[in-house]
Amino acid sequence: MFRHLVLALLILAYGHPLRATGTDNAWREELNVYQKIYDAPLQLIHGQQSSIRKLANEKPLIIALVFTRCTGVCSPLLLRLKDYLTLQPARGKFRVLVLSFDPRDGQQDLQHMAALFHLNNRPGWLFGINSEIAATNQSIGFAPRWDSSRAQFDHEALLVGVNNQGFITRKLIGLRSDHDLRFLVASIENTFTPTYRMPGKDAMFSCFNYDPLTGKNKPGLGLLFIALPALLSFSLLVGIRLAVRRKNVEQNIV
Amino acid sequence: MEASRLKKITALWIVIVLVLFVVSISLGIIMRLNQGEVLHLSPITFYSDMTVHGLTMIGIWFVAGMAAVNYVMERYVPTGKGANVFALICTVIGVLMLWASAFIGHFHAGWTFLYPLPFRIAWAAWATPLFLFSLSVLTLGWLVWTLSMMTALLRKYSFTQVFAWQHFRNKNPEKETPPFVLISMITLVGILTCLIAAVVLLVLLFAEFYSHGTFVNDALLMKNLTYFFGHTIANEMLYLGLAVIYELFAEVSGRPKWKTTWYVAIAWNLSLVFILTAFFHHLYMDFVQPEGLQIVGQLASYLASLPAAGVTVFSIFIAVYRNKLNWNLTNMLFFIGVAGWVVGGLGAVIDATISNNFVLHNTLWVPGHFHTYNALGNVLFSLGFFQWFSLQYAKNPVNSRSSGLMLTLLVLGGIGFLAAFYFGGADSIPRRYSNYPDELAAGKTLAIIGGAFASIYLLGILIFFVKVSKRCFGILFSRS
Repeated sequence: MFRHLVLALLILAYGHPLRATGTDNAWREELNVYQKIYDAPLQLIHGQQSSIRKLANEKPLIIALVFTRCTGVCSPLLLRLKDYLTLQPARGKFRVLVLSFDPRDGQQDLQHMAALFHLNNRPGWLFGINSEIAATNQSIGFAPRWDSSRAQFDHEALLVGVNNQGFITRKLIGLRSDHDLRFLVASIENTFTPTYRMPGKDAMFSCFNYDPLTGKNKPGLGLLFIALPALLSFSLLVGIRLAVRRKNVEQNIV
Repeated sequence: MEASRLKKITALWIVIVLVLFVVSISLGIIMRLNQGEVLHLSPITFYSDMTVHGLTMIGIWFVAGMAAVNYVMERYVPTGKGANVFALICTVIGVLMLWASAFIGHFHAGWTFLYPLPFRIAWAAWATPLFLFSLSVLTLGWLVWTLSMMTALLRKYSFTQVFAWQHFRNKNPEKETPPFVLISMITLVGILTCLIAAVVLLVLLFAEFYSHGTFVNDALLMKNLTYFFGHTIANEMLYLGLAVIYELFAEVSGRPKWKTTWYVAIAWNLSLVFILTAFFHHLYMDFVQPEGLQIVGQLASYLASLPAAGVTVFSIFIAVYRNKLNWNLTNMLFFIGVAGWVVGGLGAVIDATISNNFVLHNTLWVPGHFHTYNALGNVLFSLGFFQWFSLQYAKNPVNSRSSGLMLTLLVLGGIGFLAAFYFGGADSIPRRYSNYPDELAAGKTLAIIGGAFASIYLLGILIFFVKVSKRCFGILFSRS
């Protein structure tokens, strides 16, 4: 009997189609977070020489990775960030570094881009080129691919938060909501940011359900699951005792 | 025939446990030497080793306690040998599956496999389900074994008797409950509860894994369930050892057998409640956990240590103080084990105090305290049983010189190894780092010291292993 059981367990364990859960944006955003960013030397558009960590040490940074010949997501990304920051009342604790990852870009290209977005003289905005692009990209976990047919980089719209110790605190892929951008800013300023799972059909057994309208947590089904083992255990105990007592009585009668 | 079968199964358990123990200690030493930069492992290898080390240690000392309790329980009630063998087979298969997931598949989410780490696949894709299946096999085997032993006790004893409730009011009740029966039952109920928590946890993990994104779990629920299972089983296995001590300490010391008194009965009944609610102290850092449960966690941690530990230490003290005892390796191991358990328990209570936990959380203090009540506590309880059991059927006289050497190596190696953890914890050196950065250089030095003393401890275990396994093989291959 045991031999069959062992065989069945082995078949179950090894024979099942085994699949990995796919990677998604949320996972890629975790890559290299809490690692120090590579301290690449920078040339800023007004002629200053600096480096990423040096700038971050002065004030935390939001780095926007773009290139000037970009015909895709770079412009919407910068516009989204510009709009968000323009509407923020309390600025000045951090800066935005628009950093090119295209080796073809020169100082003039970046100057032109800054002017195009009316950001060339705006406080808190820096534009720069980087002579050590590969090392910088690697430290961020950013992997643009060159598409020679379009003469364009295939890349993500990426914002990287770097705190004043040079650590990457958060990454945002894609054009994101004000809510996400607020968390990005909070992370580079080393501010605690509680997060709540939003109610959804896929999470049936939450311990608490957060109501965004009232800001209150209500007990959920998940709390029952914590009590379930104790309830089942004591039910089993009573069940076993009743079963063996009946058996004992039957045997005595016989 | 039945007694001979149980004897052989128990001997086999002992050999398997000791072999796995030697391997697991070696993994631990390798990890400490890597932290000290004497060896150079990749972080993936380090964390795979850490996963295997933690889970194997918890598993083997749990089954060692169960095997001991099962063997001694036969004095009071007939136990099911089939369940014992089934648990043994499941344990061997489960451990092999676990090792395959970690050593071949490079699964390295740690022994706590905290959600959602198992699904953040940074290893072979098949390693996650294999790991989960390995836990399922282990849980199944242990659940059947636990239920079988509970059924055996409940066949003979009523609820009132098995939980010694008749001792609460009456000093000399008509039917006395032996301490071994009371403690075993209390512990088995706790084990059953935490294994059911494991079942719920595994069902939810499997549901998410095979739902392909249509079902996701609640991280807070999963963490609660993980520690309901993990914390509770790690504590219940200590109580299995205590049950054996209550039965054997007086016997091997040539003293009258211990009896259940009103305070022993009340203490152990209260322990059941406290031990099942103490796990909340693992969630102090989870701000979404309601504050009430955090307070329950701290109170239960304090209260859980008082009845069982207080009563046991008192009983041991009364037995030893100004009494002439026949000291031998078995009761020496029991005695030192109780001391180690108390020291580790104090370390645990210090860490379970919320204000202290802000400082000590996830520092080396944590492995410091749980290694104390395991390496110098629970392990010694089981080694004491192994020694006593193997001597029951030994043909050769005991070599007391090697016993003394072994005990010295265990205690010396154990204290040095644990001190390195405690000093690291007091110095805020974080745990679970494969390599320490220069800012934590003290961690490297302490890791080398810890690794060296752990090697001395291993030497003591090897001496014990050779002696006891030789006797156990004799039992296994004997005709009677």
